[in-house]
Amino acid sequence: MMHVSLIYVMQTNGVTSGVKFVTIGTSKLSFPSLRSSRFRVHCAAKPETVNKVIDIVKKQLALSDDTSLTPESKFSSLGADSLDTVEIVMCLEEEFDISVDEDNSQNITTVQEAADLIEKLVLQKAEAA
Amino acid sequence: MRRWLRWDMLPLPFNLVSRHLVVSSLPSLPPAPLPSRREAHLWYIVPNELEDASLLQDYRELLSPCEKENVLSIKGEALKKCAILSRVLVRTTLSRYTDCKVNPRLFKFRKNRFGKPEVEHQNGGLWVPPSLQFNISHTSSMIACGVTVDVPIGIDIEEKRRKPVNNLLSLAHRYFSPYEVQYLASFMDPESRQSEFLRLWTLKEAYVKALGRGFSGAPFRDFTIRFKKSTDSVVPERPKSEEFRIMIDTASDSENLTANWQFALVELSGSHLAAICMEKDENMPGTEQEFLKLKVWKTLPFVEDKCMSETDAVINISGLS
Repeated sequence: MMHVSLIYVMQTNGVTSGVKFVTIGTSKLSFPSLRSSRFRVHCAAKPETVNKVIDIVKKQLALSDDTSLTPESKFSSLGADSLDTVEIVMCLEEEFDISVDEDNSQNITTVQEAADLIEKLVLQKAEAA
Repeated sequence: MRRWLRWDMLPLPFNLVSRHLVVSSLPSLPPAPLPSRREAHLWYIVPNELEDASLLQDYRELLSPCEKENVLSIKGEALKKCAILSRVLVRTTLSRYTDCKVNPRLFKFRKNRFGKPEVEHQNGGLWVPPSLQFNISHTSSMIACGVTVDVPIGIDIEEKRRKPVNNLLSLAHRYFSPYEVQYLASFMDPESRQSEFLRLWTLKEAYVKALGRGFSGAPFRDFTIRFKKSTDSVVPERPKSEEFRIMIDTASDSENLTANWQFALVELSGSHLAAICMEKDENMPGTEQEFLKLKVWKTLPFVEDKCMSETDAVINISGLS
Protein backbone atom coordinates (compact mmCIF):
# COMPACT_ATOMS: atom_id res chain seq x y z
CA MET A 1 0.00 0.00 0.00
CA MET A 2 1.25 3.43 -0.85
CA HIS A 3 0.92 6.02 1.81
CA VAL A 4 0.33 9.64 1.08
CA SER A 5 0.34 12.30 3.71
CA LEU A 6 -1.67 15.43 3.34
CA ILE A 7 -1.56 18.46 5.47
CA TYR A 8 -4.71 20.48 5.79
CA VAL A 9 -4.24 23.98 6.97
CA MET A 10 -7.32 25.68 8.25
CA GLN A 11 -7.32 29.40 7.93
CA THR A 12 -9.73 32.07 8.90
CA ASN A 13 -9.11 35.49 7.65
CA GLY A 14 -5.59 34.52 6.68
CA VAL A 15 -4.74 33.34 10.15
CA THR A 16 -3.89 29.71 10.58
CA SER A 17 -6.13 28.26 13.19
CA GLY A 18 -5.34 24.62 12.91
CA VAL A 19 -3.31 21.97 11.16
CA LYS A 20 -4.42 18.49 10.41
CA PHE A 21 -2.31 15.61 9.25
CA VAL A 22 -4.12 13.04 7.19
CA THR A 23 -2.68 9.83 5.92
CA ILE A 24 -4.31 8.22 2.95
CA GLY A 25 -3.54 4.77 1.69
CA THR A 26 -4.19 3.92 -1.90
CA SER A 27 -5.33 0.53 -3.06
CA LYS A 28 -3.15 0.58 -6.14
CA LEU A 29 -0.88 -2.40 -6.18
CA SER A 30 2.75 -1.50 -6.07
CA PHE A 31 4.04 -4.86 -4.95
CA PRO A 32 3.18 -7.98 -6.89
CA SER A 33 3.21 -10.11 -3.76
CA LEU A 34 0.24 -8.24 -2.34
CA ARG A 35 -2.45 -9.95 -4.39
CA SER A 36 -5.81 -10.49 -2.87
CA SER A 37 -8.27 -12.94 -4.33
CA ARG A 38 -10.46 -10.02 -5.35
CA PHE A 39 -7.86 -8.95 -7.89
CA ARG A 40 -7.06 -12.42 -9.17
CA VAL A 41 -10.47 -12.66 -10.83
CA HIS A 42 -9.64 -9.74 -13.05
CA CYS A 43 -6.24 -10.95 -14.16
CA ALA A 44 -5.77 -12.87 -17.37
CA ALA A 45 -5.68 -16.64 -17.10
CA LYS A 46 -2.41 -18.54 -16.72
CA PRO A 47 -0.70 -19.62 -19.93
CA GLU A 48 -1.12 -23.29 -18.95
CA THR A 49 -4.88 -22.85 -18.85
CA VAL A 50 -4.91 -21.06 -22.19
CA ASN A 51 -2.81 -23.84 -23.72
CA LYS A 52 -5.13 -26.54 -22.43
CA VAL A 53 -8.10 -24.70 -23.94
CA ILE A 54 -6.24 -24.47 -27.25
CA ASP A 55 -5.52 -28.22 -27.19
CA ILE A 56 -9.15 -29.07 -26.57
CA VAL A 57 -10.39 -26.70 -29.26
CA LYS A 58 -7.90 -28.08 -31.79
CA LYS A 59 -9.03 -31.61 -31.04
CA GLN A 60 -12.73 -30.75 -31.23
CA LEU A 61 -12.45 -28.87 -34.50
CA ALA A 62 -9.93 -31.36 -35.94
CA LEU A 63 -7.47 -28.56 -36.66
CA SER A 64 -4.01 -29.56 -37.79
CA ASP A 65 -1.15 -29.24 -35.29
CA ASP A 66 0.43 -26.39 -37.15
CA THR A 67 -2.77 -24.29 -37.07
CA SER A 68 -1.88 -21.33 -34.95
CA LEU A 69 -4.40 -20.50 -32.24
CA THR A 70 -3.96 -17.47 -30.05
CA PRO A 71 -5.85 -16.38 -26.95
CA GLU A 72 -7.70 -13.92 -29.16
CA SER A 73 -8.90 -16.62 -31.58
CA LYS A 74 -12.67 -16.50 -31.89
CA PHE A 75 -14.48 -19.84 -31.90
CA SER A 76 -16.85 -18.73 -34.65
CA SER A 77 -13.90 -17.66 -36.83
CA LEU A 78 -12.46 -21.13 -36.46
CA GLY A 79 -15.60 -22.63 -37.94
CA ALA A 80 -17.06 -23.86 -34.65
CA ASP A 81 -20.82 -24.23 -34.77
CA SER A 82 -23.15 -24.62 -31.81
CA LEU A 83 -22.61 -28.37 -31.51
CA ASP A 84 -18.84 -27.84 -31.51
CA THR A 85 -19.21 -25.19 -28.83
CA VAL A 86 -21.21 -27.38 -26.47
CA GLU A 87 -18.76 -30.21 -27.02
CA ILE A 88 -15.87 -27.89 -26.22
CA VAL A 89 -17.63 -26.67 -23.08
CA MET A 90 -18.27 -30.23 -21.97
CA CYS A 91 -14.61 -31.17 -22.52
CA LEU A 92 -13.47 -28.14 -20.55
CA GLU A 93 -15.82 -29.08 -17.71
CA GLU A 94 -14.35 -32.58 -17.59
CA GLU A 95 -10.76 -31.41 -17.89
CA PHE A 96 -11.02 -28.81 -15.11
CA ASP A 97 -13.76 -30.47 -13.04
CA ILE A 98 -16.04 -27.45 -13.17
CA SER A 99 -19.62 -26.74 -14.16
CA VAL A 100 -20.40 -24.06 -16.72
CA ASP A 101 -23.97 -22.80 -16.76
CA GLU A 102 -25.75 -21.69 -19.91
CA ASP A 103 -25.43 -17.98 -19.13
CA ASN A 104 -21.67 -18.27 -18.94
CA SER A 105 -21.22 -20.58 -21.89
CA GLN A 106 -23.06 -18.17 -24.14
CA ASN A 107 -20.54 -15.44 -23.34
CA ILE A 108 -17.47 -17.43 -24.26
CA THR A 109 -16.47 -16.32 -27.71
CA THR A 110 -12.66 -16.52 -27.61
CA VAL A 111 -9.99 -18.82 -26.21
CA GLN A 112 -9.03 -16.16 -23.67
CA GLU A 113 -12.61 -15.77 -22.44
CA ALA A 114 -12.89 -19.52 -22.00
CA ALA A 115 -9.62 -19.66 -20.04
CA ASP A 116 -10.62 -16.71 -17.85
CA LEU A 117 -13.98 -18.26 -17.04
CA ILE A 118 -12.36 -21.59 -16.23
CA GLU A 119 -9.98 -20.01 -13.74
CA LYS A 120 -12.80 -18.05 -12.17
CA LEU A 121 -14.88 -21.20 -11.73
CA VAL A 122 -11.93 -23.22 -10.43
CA LEU A 123 -11.26 -20.50 -7.87
CA GLN A 124 -14.90 -20.27 -6.83
CA LYS A 125 -14.97 -24.00 -6.36
CA ALA A 126 -11.81 -23.93 -4.24
CA GLU A 127 -13.14 -21.09 -2.12
CA ALA A 128 -16.44 -22.85 -1.59
CA ALA A 129 -14.73 -26.05 -0.46
CA MET B 1 -16.58 -13.52 -70.16
CA ARG B 2 -19.06 -13.79 -67.37
CA ARG B 3 -22.02 -15.58 -68.85
CA TRP B 4 -24.49 -14.06 -66.45
CA LEU B 5 -23.55 -10.46 -67.06
CA ARG B 6 -26.10 -8.79 -69.28
CA TRP B 7 -26.02 -5.03 -69.25
CA ASP B 8 -29.66 -4.75 -70.29
CA MET B 9 -30.58 -6.51 -67.07
CA LEU B 10 -28.86 -3.97 -64.84
CA PRO B 11 -31.24 -2.32 -62.44
CA LEU B 12 -30.94 1.38 -61.78
CA PRO B 13 -32.99 2.18 -58.72
CA PHE B 14 -33.08 5.93 -59.25
CA ASN B 15 -34.51 6.72 -55.86
CA LEU B 16 -31.35 5.39 -54.30
CA VAL B 17 -28.64 6.78 -56.59
CA SER B 18 -28.36 9.94 -54.56
CA ARG B 19 -27.53 7.97 -51.43
CA HIS B 20 -25.36 5.19 -52.74
CA LEU B 21 -23.49 4.27 -55.83
CA VAL B 22 -25.64 1.34 -56.71
CA VAL B 23 -24.52 0.42 -60.18
CA SER B 24 -23.20 -3.07 -59.76
CA SER B 25 -21.67 -5.59 -62.10
CA LEU B 26 -24.21 -8.15 -60.96
CA PRO B 27 -27.53 -8.59 -62.77
CA SER B 28 -30.97 -8.59 -61.16
CA LEU B 29 -32.22 -11.40 -59.04
CA PRO B 30 -35.51 -12.97 -60.05
CA PRO B 31 -38.18 -11.81 -57.58
CA ALA B 32 -39.93 -14.40 -55.43
CA PRO B 33 -43.56 -14.35 -54.27
CA LEU B 34 -43.93 -13.99 -50.51
CA PRO B 35 -44.53 -17.12 -48.46
CA SER B 36 -48.18 -17.50 -47.51
CA ARG B 37 -49.29 -17.36 -43.91
CA ARG B 38 -48.43 -20.92 -42.94
CA GLU B 39 -45.56 -21.40 -45.31
CA ALA B 40 -41.81 -21.38 -44.89
CA HIS B 41 -39.34 -20.91 -47.72
CA LEU B 42 -35.88 -22.39 -47.56
CA TRP B 43 -32.99 -21.31 -49.78
CA TYR B 44 -29.68 -23.11 -49.70
CA ILE B 45 -26.19 -22.75 -51.19
CA VAL B 46 -23.63 -25.52 -51.64
CA PRO B 47 -20.27 -23.71 -51.23
CA ASN B 48 -18.34 -26.31 -53.24
CA GLU B 49 -20.34 -25.42 -56.31
CA LEU B 50 -18.88 -21.93 -56.36
CA GLU B 51 -15.57 -22.11 -58.17
CA ASP B 52 -15.47 -18.71 -59.82
CA ALA B 53 -13.12 -16.50 -57.80
CA SER B 54 -14.35 -13.34 -59.48
CA LEU B 55 -17.94 -14.18 -58.57
CA LEU B 56 -16.87 -14.59 -54.96
CA GLN B 57 -15.25 -11.18 -55.19
CA ASP B 58 -18.49 -9.69 -56.51
CA TYR B 59 -20.38 -11.39 -53.68
CA ARG B 60 -17.99 -9.84 -51.19
CA GLU B 61 -18.90 -6.39 -52.51
CA LEU B 62 -22.50 -6.90 -51.38
CA LEU B 63 -21.43 -7.09 -47.73
CA SER B 64 -21.55 -4.23 -45.28
CA PRO B 65 -18.23 -2.78 -44.00
CA CYS B 66 -18.79 -4.60 -40.71
CA GLU B 67 -19.41 -7.91 -42.43
CA LYS B 68 -16.32 -7.42 -44.61
CA GLU B 69 -14.23 -6.81 -41.52
CA ASN B 70 -15.56 -9.97 -39.96
CA VAL B 71 -14.59 -11.94 -43.07
CA LEU B 72 -11.08 -10.48 -42.86
CA SER B 73 -10.77 -11.71 -39.28
CA ILE B 74 -11.48 -15.28 -40.33
CA LYS B 75 -8.50 -17.45 -41.11
CA GLY B 76 -8.63 -19.99 -43.92
CA GLU B 77 -10.05 -19.62 -47.41
CA ALA B 78 -12.84 -22.16 -46.99
CA LEU B 79 -14.14 -20.50 -43.84
CA LYS B 80 -13.86 -17.03 -45.41
CA LYS B 81 -15.87 -18.26 -48.39
CA CYS B 82 -18.58 -19.67 -46.11
CA ALA B 83 -18.78 -16.42 -44.20
CA ILE B 84 -19.22 -14.43 -47.41
CA LEU B 85 -21.79 -16.85 -48.81
CA SER B 86 -23.72 -16.80 -45.57
CA ARG B 87 -24.21 -13.04 -45.73
CA VAL B 88 -24.84 -13.11 -49.47
CA LEU B 89 -27.51 -15.74 -49.01
CA VAL B 90 -29.39 -13.68 -46.43
CA ARG B 91 -29.12 -10.44 -48.40
CA THR B 92 -30.05 -11.86 -51.79
CA THR B 93 -32.87 -13.98 -50.37
CA LEU B 94 -34.46 -10.99 -48.63
CA SER B 95 -34.03 -8.88 -51.75
CA ARG B 96 -36.06 -11.38 -53.77
CA TYR B 97 -39.04 -10.83 -51.48
CA THR B 98 -39.01 -7.09 -52.04
CA ASP B 99 -39.72 -7.71 -55.71
CA CYS B 100 -36.01 -6.95 -56.06
CA LYS B 101 -36.69 -3.29 -55.42
CA VAL B 102 -34.19 -3.34 -52.56
CA ASN B 103 -30.60 -4.03 -53.55
CA PRO B 104 -29.10 -6.83 -51.45
CA ARG B 105 -26.32 -4.60 -50.15
CA LEU B 106 -28.77 -2.12 -48.69
CA PHE B 107 -30.29 -4.27 -45.98
CA LYS B 108 -29.39 -3.37 -42.44
CA PHE B 109 -29.55 -5.83 -39.62
CA ARG B 110 -29.74 -5.58 -35.88
CA LYS B 111 -29.93 -8.07 -33.06
CA ASN B 112 -32.87 -8.37 -30.71
CA ARG B 113 -32.04 -8.04 -27.04
CA PHE B 114 -31.14 -11.72 -26.86
CA GLY B 115 -28.86 -11.59 -29.89
CA LYS B 116 -31.15 -12.95 -32.62
CA PRO B 117 -30.44 -11.20 -35.92
CA GLU B 118 -33.36 -9.46 -37.61
CA VAL B 119 -33.96 -7.03 -40.47
CA GLU B 120 -33.85 -3.43 -39.41
CA HIS B 121 -36.72 -1.70 -41.11
CA GLN B 122 -35.49 1.66 -42.28
CA ASN B 123 -37.38 4.86 -42.63
CA GLY B 124 -37.49 6.81 -45.85
CA GLY B 125 -36.97 5.42 -49.30
CA LEU B 126 -36.49 1.71 -48.93
CA TRP B 127 -39.45 -0.58 -49.34
CA VAL B 128 -39.36 -3.72 -47.25
CA PRO B 129 -42.50 -5.81 -46.95
CA PRO B 130 -43.88 -6.06 -43.43
CA SER B 131 -42.17 -8.47 -41.10
CA LEU B 132 -39.90 -10.65 -43.19
CA GLN B 133 -38.59 -13.14 -40.69
CA PHE B 134 -35.48 -15.13 -41.43
CA ASN B 135 -33.02 -17.50 -39.83
CA ILE B 136 -29.74 -18.93 -41.12
CA SER B 137 -27.86 -22.08 -40.42
CA HIS B 138 -24.69 -23.46 -41.91
CA THR B 139 -22.34 -26.38 -42.03
CA SER B 140 -19.08 -26.40 -43.97
CA SER B 141 -20.87 -27.96 -46.92
CA MET B 142 -24.20 -26.12 -46.99
CA ILE B 143 -25.65 -22.78 -45.97
CA ALA B 144 -29.40 -22.38 -45.59
CA CYS B 145 -31.78 -19.50 -44.99
CA GLY B 146 -35.38 -19.91 -43.93
CA VAL B 147 -37.93 -17.14 -44.55
CA THR B 148 -41.49 -16.52 -43.41
CA VAL B 149 -43.79 -13.53 -43.28
CA ASP B 150 -44.75 -12.46 -39.77
CA VAL B 151 -44.11 -15.81 -38.16
CA PRO B 152 -40.96 -16.42 -36.08
CA ILE B 153 -38.84 -19.13 -37.62
CA GLY B 154 -35.78 -21.09 -36.59
CA ILE B 155 -33.82 -23.54 -38.74
CA ASP B 156 -30.89 -25.80 -38.16
CA ILE B 157 -29.00 -27.97 -40.62
CA GLU B 158 -26.45 -30.66 -39.95
CA GLU B 159 -24.55 -33.10 -42.12
CA LYS B 160 -26.29 -36.45 -41.86
CA ARG B 161 -22.96 -38.18 -41.31
CA ARG B 162 -21.76 -35.85 -38.60
CA LYS B 163 -20.24 -37.76 -35.75
CA PRO B 164 -19.85 -35.81 -32.52
CA VAL B 165 -16.37 -36.09 -31.04
CA ASN B 166 -17.71 -36.96 -27.61
CA ASN B 167 -19.80 -39.88 -26.46
CA LEU B 168 -23.43 -39.28 -27.45
CA LEU B 169 -24.95 -40.35 -24.16
CA SER B 170 -22.49 -38.16 -22.26
CA LEU B 171 -23.56 -35.23 -24.40
CA ALA B 172 -27.20 -36.11 -23.90
CA HIS B 173 -26.78 -36.46 -20.12
CA ARG B 174 -25.12 -33.08 -20.01
CA TYR B 175 -27.50 -31.18 -22.26
CA PHE B 176 -30.76 -33.01 -22.98
CA SER B 177 -33.85 -33.63 -20.88
CA PRO B 178 -34.17 -36.92 -18.97
CA TYR B 179 -36.86 -38.18 -21.36
CA GLU B 180 -34.59 -37.56 -24.35
CA VAL B 181 -31.66 -39.30 -22.66
CA GLN B 182 -33.81 -42.36 -22.10
CA TYR B 183 -35.04 -42.23 -25.67
CA LEU B 184 -31.48 -42.16 -27.02
CA ALA B 185 -30.30 -44.86 -24.66
CA SER B 186 -33.00 -47.14 -26.06
CA PHE B 187 -31.11 -47.32 -29.37
CA MET B 188 -28.40 -49.96 -29.15
CA ASP B 189 -27.12 -49.67 -32.68
CA PRO B 190 -24.52 -46.84 -32.77
CA GLU B 191 -25.65 -45.61 -36.19
CA SER B 192 -29.29 -45.37 -35.18
CA ARG B 193 -28.34 -43.64 -31.95
CA GLN B 194 -26.22 -41.15 -33.88
CA SER B 195 -29.04 -40.50 -36.31
CA GLU B 196 -31.56 -39.95 -33.49
CA PHE B 197 -29.10 -37.72 -31.65
CA LEU B 198 -28.76 -35.47 -34.69
CA ARG B 199 -32.52 -35.37 -35.18
CA LEU B 200 -33.03 -34.26 -31.58
CA TRP B 201 -30.13 -31.82 -31.79
CA THR B 202 -31.32 -30.06 -34.95
CA LEU B 203 -34.92 -29.85 -33.72
CA LYS B 204 -33.86 -28.43 -30.36
CA GLU B 205 -31.56 -25.92 -32.05
CA ALA B 206 -34.32 -24.88 -34.44
CA TYR B 207 -36.69 -24.29 -31.51
CA VAL B 208 -34.19 -22.21 -29.55
CA LYS B 209 -33.39 -20.16 -32.64
CA ALA B 210 -37.08 -19.67 -33.43
CA LEU B 211 -37.71 -18.52 -29.86
CA GLY B 212 -34.88 -16.04 -30.32
CA ARG B 213 -33.86 -16.02 -26.69
CA GLY B 214 -30.41 -17.52 -27.10
CA PHE B 215 -29.00 -20.69 -25.63
CA SER B 216 -29.29 -19.46 -22.05
CA GLY B 217 -32.87 -18.24 -22.56
CA ALA B 218 -33.99 -21.71 -23.49
CA PRO B 219 -31.68 -24.27 -21.89
CA PHE B 220 -31.85 -27.54 -23.76
CA ARG B 221 -32.68 -29.58 -20.70
CA ASP B 222 -35.76 -27.46 -19.94
CA PHE B 223 -37.79 -28.74 -22.87
CA THR B 224 -38.36 -32.11 -24.47
CA ILE B 225 -38.71 -33.03 -28.11
CA ARG B 226 -40.43 -36.32 -28.65
CA PHE B 227 -41.67 -38.30 -31.56
CA LYS B 228 -45.26 -39.42 -31.37
CA LYS B 229 -46.34 -42.26 -33.56
CA SER B 230 -49.26 -41.28 -35.76
CA THR B 231 -52.14 -43.44 -34.71
CA ASP B 232 -54.60 -41.49 -36.85
CA SER B 233 -56.39 -43.41 -39.56
CA VAL B 234 -54.19 -43.77 -42.57
CA VAL B 235 -54.98 -41.35 -45.38
CA PRO B 236 -53.97 -42.87 -48.72
CA GLU B 237 -52.51 -39.65 -50.15
CA ARG B 238 -50.21 -39.09 -47.22
CA PRO B 239 -46.62 -40.17 -47.87
CA LYS B 240 -45.50 -43.21 -45.96
CA SER B 241 -42.70 -41.31 -44.28
CA GLU B 242 -45.09 -39.46 -42.02
CA GLU B 243 -45.14 -42.13 -39.40
CA PHE B 244 -44.53 -39.86 -36.46
CA ARG B 245 -45.19 -36.35 -35.35
CA ILE B 246 -42.75 -34.06 -33.62
CA MET B 247 -44.01 -32.80 -30.29
CA ILE B 248 -42.57 -30.42 -27.75
CA ASP B 249 -43.13 -30.44 -24.01
CA THR B 250 -42.12 -27.59 -21.77
CA ALA B 251 -42.37 -27.24 -18.00
CA SER B 252 -45.74 -25.71 -17.12
CA ASP B 253 -44.12 -23.08 -14.92
CA SER B 254 -41.82 -21.86 -17.64
CA GLU B 255 -43.09 -18.55 -18.99
CA ASN B 256 -40.38 -18.19 -21.59
CA LEU B 257 -40.59 -21.64 -23.07
CA THR B 258 -43.79 -21.74 -25.03
CA ALA B 259 -45.14 -24.85 -26.67
CA ASN B 260 -47.18 -23.43 -29.55
CA TRP B 261 -44.60 -24.28 -32.15
CA GLN B 262 -44.68 -26.70 -35.04
CA PHE B 263 -41.79 -28.62 -36.48
CA ALA B 264 -40.68 -30.25 -39.67
CA LEU B 265 -37.68 -32.44 -40.32
CA VAL B 266 -36.40 -33.04 -43.84
CA GLU B 267 -33.46 -34.62 -45.55
CA LEU B 268 -31.84 -32.17 -47.97
CA SER B 269 -29.81 -33.14 -50.98
CA GLY B 270 -29.22 -36.63 -49.60
CA SER B 271 -26.55 -35.23 -47.33
CA HIS B 272 -28.11 -32.98 -44.74
CA LEU B 273 -30.74 -32.98 -42.06
CA ALA B 274 -32.79 -29.78 -41.81
CA ALA B 275 -35.09 -28.92 -38.93
CA ILE B 276 -37.60 -26.10 -39.26
CA CYS B 277 -39.56 -24.60 -36.39
CA MET B 278 -42.39 -22.09 -36.84
CA GLU B 279 -44.76 -20.51 -34.38
CA LYS B 280 -48.32 -21.71 -34.59
CA ASP B 281 -51.11 -19.31 -35.33
CA GLU B 282 -53.37 -19.21 -32.28
CA ASN B 283 -56.25 -18.03 -34.44
CA MET B 284 -56.16 -21.03 -36.69
CA PRO B 285 -57.91 -24.29 -35.81
CA GLY B 286 -55.52 -26.93 -34.52
CA THR B 287 -56.11 -29.50 -37.22
CA GLU B 288 -55.05 -27.14 -39.99
CA GLN B 289 -51.70 -26.61 -38.36
CA GLU B 290 -50.58 -30.19 -38.15
CA PHE B 291 -48.35 -29.82 -41.13
CA LEU B 292 -46.02 -27.13 -42.29
CA LYS B 293 -45.87 -26.01 -45.92
CA LEU B 294 -42.33 -25.76 -47.19
CA LYS B 295 -40.84 -24.65 -50.50
CA VAL B 296 -37.14 -25.22 -51.13
CA TRP B 297 -34.73 -23.67 -53.62
CA LYS B 298 -31.08 -24.35 -54.24
CA THR B 299 -29.29 -21.23 -55.36
CA LEU B 300 -26.07 -19.75 -56.59
CA PRO B 301 -27.23 -16.12 -56.45
CA PHE B 302 -27.22 -14.29 -59.80
CA VAL B 303 -26.27 -17.51 -61.56
CA GLU B 304 -28.90 -20.14 -61.01
CA ASP B 305 -31.94 -20.88 -58.85
CA LYS B 306 -33.50 -24.32 -58.82
CA CYS B 307 -36.75 -25.21 -57.14
CA MET B 308 -36.14 -28.44 -55.26
CA SER B 309 -39.55 -29.02 -53.69
CA GLU B 310 -41.23 -32.16 -55.02
CA THR B 311 -37.83 -33.59 -55.99
CA ASP B 312 -35.63 -36.22 -54.39
CA ALA B 313 -33.52 -33.45 -52.94
CA VAL B 314 -36.17 -32.78 -50.31
CA ILE B 315 -37.37 -35.81 -48.42
CA ASN B 316 -39.95 -35.32 -45.72
CA ILE B 317 -39.07 -37.14 -42.50
CA SER B 318 -41.86 -35.58 -40.50
CA GLY B 319 -44.06 -32.53 -40.35
CA LEU B 320 -44.53 -31.45 -43.95
CA SER B 321 -47.85 -31.35 -45.70
